[in-house]
Amino acid sequence: MSVQKIWLILRSEFWRRVRSTAFLLATVLVPIGFVALGAAPALFGYLAGQTSQHTIAIVDETGRLADSLGADAGEQLTFRPTDAPEDSVRAAVRAGRYDGYLHLPASLLGGTGEATYFSTEGGGLSLRAQLDTRVNGTVRARRLEAAGASDTVRSIVGSDVSLATRKLSAEGTTADSSLAYTAIGYAMAFIIYLAVLFYGQFVMQGVIEEKSNRVVEIIVSSVRPFELLMGKVLGIGAMGLAQMLTWAAVGLGGSAAVGPLLVLFFDPSDLGAPEGASAAAMQEAAGVTIPTIPLDLVVWFLLFFLGGFLLYAALFAAVGSAVEQQQDAQSLLIPVMTPLILPILFLIFVIEAPNATASVVLSMVPFFSPILMVLRAAITSVPVWQIVVSFALLIATFVGTIWVAGRVYRVGILSYGKTPSLREIVRWATYE
Amino acid sequence: MAHLSVENVTKRYGDTVAVDDVSFEARPGRILGLLGPNGAGKTSTIRMITYIMVPDAGTIRFDGQSVGPWSQQRMGYLPEERGLYKRLRVKEQLVYLGTLKGLSRAEAADRADHWLGRFDATEWADLETKELSKGMQQKVQFIATLLHDPSLLIFDEPFSGLDPINADLLRDIILELRRDDRTILFASHRMEQVEQLCDDICLMAQGDVVLQGPLREVKEQFGQNTLVLEFDGDDAFIDELEAEGRVRVHSRSAHRAELHLTDGTEARPVLDRALDRTDALYRYERVAPPLNEIFVEVVGEAEAERLRDPTPAAER
Repeated sequence: MSVQKIWLILRSEFWRRVRSTAFLLATVLVPIGFVALGAAPALFGYLAGQTSQHTIAIVDETGRLADSLGADAGEQLTFRPTDAPEDSVRAAVRAGRYDGYLHLPASLLGGTGEATYFSTEGGGLSLRAQLDTRVNGTVRARRLEAAGASDTVRSIVGSDVSLATRKLSAEGTTADSSLAYTAIGYAMAFIIYLAVLFYGQFVMQGVIEEKSNRVVEIIVSSVRPFELLMGKVLGIGAMGLAQMLTWAAVGLGGSAAVGPLLVLFFDPSDLGAPEGASAAAMQEAAGVTIPTIPLDLVVWFLLFFLGGFLLYAALFAAVGSAVEQQQDAQSLLIPVMTPLILPILFLIFVIEAPNATASVVLSMVPFFSPILMVLRAAITSVPVWQIVVSFALLIATFVGTIWVAGRVYRVGILSYGKTPSLREIVRWATYE
Repeated sequence: MAHLSVENVTKRYGDTVAVDDVSFEARPGRILGLLGPNGAGKTSTIRMITYIMVPDAGTIRFDGQSVGPWSQQRMGYLPEERGLYKRLRVKEQLVYLGTLKGLSRAEAADRADHWLGRFDATEWADLETKELSKGMQQKVQFIATLLHDPSLLIFDEPFSGLDPINADLLRDIILELRRDDRTILFASHRMEQVEQLCDDICLMAQGDVVLQGPLREVKEQFGQNTLVLEFDGDDAFIDELEAEGRVRVHSRSAHRAELHLTDGTEARPVLDRALDRTDALYRYERVAPPLNEIFVEVVGEAEAERLRDPTPAAER
């Protein structure tokens, strides 16, 4: 095996792809897509809030709620108490003079009645939530008042109890919660899954392309098929790594920019931070906590991504070598895709019980570990030996897999005609 | 220079024997025509020579040493089914393929320039390969085969798809390589090309070598059993001769016929009959059979042999 040849192929495969328009577009568009995806709900909510002004008639049979509701209406709601009979209010809503009307029965203060909102259209979640909060607050205040509750009781009922979580570690307690780490673990697991899937398919595509346009016979008259396979897998792996590092850099830059941006656009006092607070303090005050991802987690993430990619890429390449076009690969891909998808089904289980025996075992299984071990490493403190054993198993499996894949590949790239069955492909590995 | 010898080579795929105990040699400064119908085992043999595959039995030596990665660097192979990376630029492609053959980038670039010039293709250097026509791509493939100055060249149907002008250019270059004392293997179905170019032939059928040797000797071996007639007038005498079992018709048009004398037939009676029955006889010549006929005859015999002995090749 010639390392120099593998390097030549790696370099060519890498540059050929990295300079393509498709690669540059994907590298730029994916982060934009993620930001858009993250920002969309907030943006839509904001736009919806901007546009919807609701004028709501109140048919108040208690005679004691309309005024305080009106005083508490907020910016988007306008309450119009009315004495008109319900029928004519209904007609007015249908005619479009009100967006809807709120019916507050006399029994409401007694604790049995139910407030009802009538409108020609649903009104949406945010309107419902706003109405709910206001009716609840007002009715509760009146009921407490009617029961003669003291101010102390009222303030107790009105207050929120918040729960803060702190993580215990060797360095003491650290702010922030396992929730953020669960999110990070979940995100990392999914990124590895998607990256292995996409870059693995790239490898398969490359193999099929080389075979179907018949350049492969020229190449293997210069290098060993195994060198071509390794060069291709490593070259595409390097491309994937370059792309992900670019995204990581953009992500880091983006999160580093949050603090300074807050300083630019807000006054510290707006966020409840002391005058002259630092960017970091403001960020915390604004509730924008970006938990720092520990370096060792990043390293494991990269190593397991590479290990997982190599393992699956070898299989994708073997499948690619057996067919002449992508469509023919579908049925052959089942044994490759199944172990890749299975850990996604276990994600929730592992998140809920990251240290259960089953979770530990699953995160050691080589075909699952790139996803599940990284998830566990993110959400819990995994003993180092477990990670090391898991990674060693992954690499050992990769070595075995690429050896078998190489034997299949060597026969496959020169076989044209009928798409072989899985059984035939397995037999190829035994050819001399 | 490079001497190629294939010694008792066998290759099986599962139960099928593709190449069965094949031996032949190719010598420097000569062109060896590797012939045979589809499925004869030519491609498998070439793939073993180029070390793309390894034989199950037997050895292939290049300058006395078993072939391997080292010999790949000294061979240039133009496969019958060939392609290029569509998205690479022409020169970049050539440089890449050259470096895989062990050239340095600078060397590969220089030689690519030289050969692109020779093929009148310098202005393609920066085009993406997919922009080229099929014939243009074929020139690039041909250059890739030569770029690293190999001492053994293997051309599988090199002329297919080339226009006559480029085919001539290619033929010139192949003959030039031959004068340079390189060893050349030429696989083809086109017998007239083989007859024009080859010094030696090796005819394969059913995984066996059924005929080999210098082209002239091979033809002599088949004797001067072919008659070429050119005439005017009635050609019914040919039908009669054929009906009597004296000749077999190779080819026949209104005024020309190539006849094979069946075993034991004298040439004289055919001449008499022709003189007797035609209005004018311009040409009567006794020649060696065309390669095409030899091919059909030998391959036909091998096929018949196989039919007589129904044991599958694998069990023989």
